[in-house]
Amino acid sequence: MQEKLITVEIDENGNSSIDLEGFQGQGCGDVAKDFRGGDSVTQSSRKREFYTRTVAEKQSQPQT
Amino acid sequence: MSQYEELTTTMTDQQYLVEALTEMGYKPEVQTEGTALRGYGGVSWNRPVQVTIPREQLRGALAAVGFGRDDAGVFQAVIDDLDRKCGGFDESWLGRVAQAYKERQTMAVAKTKGYVFRGREIVQTPQGPKVQLRFAVR
Repeated sequence: MQEKLITVEIDENGNSSIDLEGFQGQGCGDVAKDFRGGDSVTQSSRKREFYTRTVAEKQSQPQT
Repeated sequence: MSQYEELTTTMTDQQYLVEALTEMGYKPEVQTEGTALRGYGGVSWNRPVQVTIPREQLRGALAAVGFGRDDAGVFQAVIDDLDRKCGGFDESWLGRVAQAYKERQTMAVAKTKGYVFRGREIVQTPQGPKVQLRFAVR
């Protein structure tokens, strides 16, 4: 199983961004929330994996 | 004649601020209740500052640098305008303080949340060096 890695980059103005590897779906949001909770991350973006998982989850839900 | 000016920051945690300044080679003085900042030629700042870097520690500076909390609890930097314009204690210097502060803060958050530290790198970019911190999920 791929290790879940978090990379935080901080520029010379103290602005930070976060990059996640190996995460899918809501797990991304939880990690971003952890770091943003301390105001340590000021920018984040979602990768393709997030949407891949989200779409897959929706498709697997039973139709009513 | 020089005078003190206030430069905006977003830093709120005194411990991380002190650690950041220490990492940059300074020995900041802390007065939790706040103290008056006096500068070159007797100029003073009209609000108390909680963290001070004495002039002797600031190479070539005319006056001490202070960090004082505003009404919202955010630290604002108080720097002599001549030191800002000519001494290198400008927005770029303050940015490096903010960078060191953010690194401390990020490390503390990661530790609290149980992430495993995997390493630190300085990455050169066209916008200047960036600190890259890597963590893994436990």
